[in-house]
Amino acid sequence: MGALGVAATVVAACGGGETSGAPELTWYINNAVQVEIADACNEEAEGAYVLKTSLLPNSAAPQREQLLRRLAAGDTTVDLLSLDPPFMAEFANAGFLRPFTAEEQEELSQGVLEGPLEQSLYEDTMFSAPFYGNTQLLWYKKSVAEEAGLDPAAAPVTWDQVIEAAEQTGTTVGVQGRRNESLMVWVNALVSSAGGSILAEDSQGAAAEDVESALDSEAGAEAARIMSTIANSDIAPAGLSTAGEEESRAAFQADDGGFMVNWPYVWTAFEAAEAAGAVEEGFRDDIAWARYPQVVEGEASATPLGGIGVSIGAYTEHEEAALEAVRCVRSPERQKQNMLTAGEPAASAEVYDDPEVQEAFPMYEAIREGLTDAAPRPISPYYGDVTGVVQQGYHPPDALDEQTTPARTADFLEAVLDGSRML
Amino acid sequence: MSAGRKGQVWWIVGAVLIIVYALVPVAWIVSLSFKAGDDITNRKFWPTEWSFENYLIVFRSDLFTTALRNSVGISLIATTISVVLAMFAAYAVARLEFPGKKLLLSLALAITIFPIIAIATPLFNLWRTVGLYDTWLGLIIPYLSFSLPLSVYVLSAFFREIPWEMEQAAQVDGATPLQAFRKVIVPLAAPGVFTAAILTFFAIWNDFIFGITLTSSEAARPVPAALAFFSGASQFSQPTAPIAAASVIVTIPVVVLVLLFQQKIVAGLTNGAVKG
Amino acid sequence: MSTTVPAAAGEVRAEADRQDAPAAAPARRQRMTDRARKERNLGWLLAGPAFVVMLSVTAYPIANAVWYSLFDFRLTDPDGRSFVGLGNYATILSDVLFWRQFGVTAAITVVTVAVEFVLGFALALVMHRALFLRKSVRTAILVPYGIITVVSAYAWQYAFTPAYGFVNPLFGSDLDWFGETVPSLVVICLSEIWKTTPFMSLLLLAGLAQIPSTYIEAAKVDGATAWQRFRKVVVPNMKGAIMVALLFRTLDAFRIFDNVFVMTQGANGTETLSFLAYRQTITRVMIGLGSAVSVILAVLVVLIAFLFIKGFKVNLAEQRGA
Repeated sequence: MGALGVAATVVAACGGGETSGAPELTWYINNAVQVEIADACNEEAEGAYVLKTSLLPNSAAPQREQLLRRLAAGDTTVDLLSLDPPFMAEFANAGFLRPFTAEEQEELSQGVLEGPLEQSLYEDTMFSAPFYGNTQLLWYKKSVAEEAGLDPAAAPVTWDQVIEAAEQTGTTVGVQGRRNESLMVWVNALVSSAGGSILAEDSQGAAAEDVESALDSEAGAEAARIMSTIANSDIAPAGLSTAGEEESRAAFQADDGGFMVNWPYVWTAFEAAEAAGAVEEGFRDDIAWARYPQVVEGEASATPLGGIGVSIGAYTEHEEAALEAVRCVRSPERQKQNMLTAGEPAASAEVYDDPEVQEAFPMYEAIREGLTDAAPRPISPYYGDVTGVVQQGYHPPDALDEQTTPARTADFLEAVLDGSRML
Repeated sequence: MSAGRKGQVWWIVGAVLIIVYALVPVAWIVSLSFKAGDDITNRKFWPTEWSFENYLIVFRSDLFTTALRNSVGISLIATTISVVLAMFAAYAVARLEFPGKKLLLSLALAITIFPIIAIATPLFNLWRTVGLYDTWLGLIIPYLSFSLPLSVYVLSAFFREIPWEMEQAAQVDGATPLQAFRKVIVPLAAPGVFTAAILTFFAIWNDFIFGITLTSSEAARPVPAALAFFSGASQFSQPTAPIAAASVIVTIPVVVLVLLFQQKIVAGLTNGAVKG
Repeated sequence: MSTTVPAAAGEVRAEADRQDAPAAAPARRQRMTDRARKERNLGWLLAGPAFVVMLSVTAYPIANAVWYSLFDFRLTDPDGRSFVGLGNYATILSDVLFWRQFGVTAAITVVTVAVEFVLGFALALVMHRALFLRKSVRTAILVPYGIITVVSAYAWQYAFTPAYGFVNPLFGSDLDWFGETVPSLVVICLSEIWKTTPFMSLLLLAGLAQIPSTYIEAAKVDGATAWQRFRKVVVPNMKGAIMVALLFRTLDAFRIFDNVFVMTQGANGTETLSFLAYRQTITRVMIGLGSAVSVILAVLVVLIAFLFIKGFKVNLAEQRGA
């Protein structure tokens, strides 16, 4: 009976919002810190809308699944959603997102860095307002680099140089080899840096059966070579094939940590680790960062790109209010707030001019650069399948073969998309 | 007799081993849940320092507390309805001859062996068209369907054991049928109903597939699904220790039920298999 | 959710009994008395609601799954929906992925059920014979039985994860358990075995309790060793219970999902058939293809059940004769 009582109060709570007059909006957030952004926007809105939040699961794939199923069910409560950009095309193509008008698009594009902007467009239309961007940097211990005679701060380094330096110094290279979206980020960055791409150029908007993969190429082979070299060497941290961002950080923080590619959040995480005594005081003094490594010497690397865009659900009943809320959430002030509290880099250029941001993120220039030269993951309505295939084809990293991996993955990708094979 | 006593020593050793076997993984997850911060990576069985930090994190997280409320509410409602319906059905199965009885039992058997994952997708489709997706009712209904066979079987096994003649005897002694039923049959049937309720509760409490396929927000998401979706301090961190704490919390009801009703549960599980 | 029904064994047996006397039924049907009619009405009145509820969310979804399995239908591309007949089945059955996952599923099933059977028997014997600690043992093994599978999966996963676990330091190894297929499967099986052996052992305990102690005494008098008594007296006399335990555990193990989902998300070739169905329908939202996988899985499970029950009746007849 108590349980029925609970049910009744839940129902009452849901119905209660409508009487107050202000439209009640639900924002599906991917990080609990965004609650604070919603609070700030509610204050700013002065009753024009009430923005409530609902937290999604903790990783990209289940976030997509939850949102997808909700929108497929025609859910009118999905007013705002924090969407991982690679999945936007799929949602947009299915008609699950309200496209921004040309006017709105212009407004929401202003001052946005190139990378985050590019990944917020599907067939030239904006479906997600860039909220924050993210990019990976090369992190290294100054002492280790010095010992190896490498200076990544002076000039961009290549993966081969990093590998050699680590081998020379008996240290590890932290990378994300876990079979989830992090692996895809790595593969995409390697392939793009080598001048290739995962999907053929004209395949990005093609129907599933016409999609072609460009992986079976020099670039695809280079990616496989670098990954398997690291995985099969002593420079691979233990558990490489199951390592995500946090495992990489742990490996880097260890005594034999030397190099790592990772998102900027690690900087605040190092600080926390120092405070908690997990690493010795002054650990960060020995840490430096540089641009993501090159694959081909002399050719600028295509930096990995992440982040979140804020979209409006196609079935929202409060379109105007939702638009207002999007404006607030992606405003440079809120982006700055989010950058300082969640450690997620802003998508708008002007935020990086802020002294507070510059102080909290000494590597702000590298981040801004990374967000400008970034290579988005393939933009395709079938991205879910694309990433699933690549994650299978390029995993585990120690079993990759530059001769066979690219072709096999490319064939598999085409077969999955034309429906002749399962994933 | 002395040989028997010597044998007993070995049986006791066996018994102790079984207790260790059953409880070590539980002790491990409990221990994990008390490891604060980076102590989680100490790679030892016990925490270096015992801390309640993870429990605070878990109880401060809406994701978990709403899931707990959903699980408790949904499980109790579904268990209650399931057992009541099963009681009637089991009485009919145990006591009455009627055409279609075999069909009923075959259906129940078919449901227990049917893969739930095969039901989950079409049910997801159906629920989103009728608006039951991500609601309590949307979970309660499939839980009923899938727990009813269990309740019906356990209860009918119990009901067959009841000496129903006593009811008539009581009526002969001047009791009304209702009195006879209440005074004689109900006390005899109650333990069976109780057992069925506990086993049903366990089964529903444990569900994962419906939990992840038929919900998508805290409106209805039950604990096992929430556990798998728990997020950590940063976007990239694995919330290992809080998951352990949450796991311990949801195991407490199970342990309490087991401690209180061990004998009844064992009887419920073994009754039907031997007696029929 | 695991809804395996131990008590169903009784029903299977009862049905076997009923088949012995088919002649009586028509005669009874011809002379339906008032009393019989009343009984029939009451029977349906009481059993009807349960019947309807059981049917309500199973009949339609099953029919629905079968229907959708004939279409090429992706949820995010509703306009591209087209009828493909048995095309999805052809795709699945000709896909090496399906057969590999069938193999993984079968391997998990065989290994876990076999280990659980041996271990469960040992547990049952201890519970049956130990005079002391009997209550504690029964209480202790009910904890794994009642614990949420997801929780069990996490406990075992963390124990073996190099970064958190006590297992590697304990054995001085540095194996990355979830980095390779076989070690991952070992941990998945361990979790499955730990959680479900108690169930197996309780069913076997029920079988043990059924054996008249006079049989065993008689064998003792005849000078049979403990092993001989076990093989010649104990096992043959509890064949029914053994078959029930094996049947239900086999069906359950074949549908394994939770452990895989939590521990590896299917990485390193640890995907099972349930996971395959999940990936097609929930992750890829390929409703048609996923429904076809589900239907195939269902058919396989029914087939296993059918084979077991076929063998089962024979055993039951033997058991009654004994």
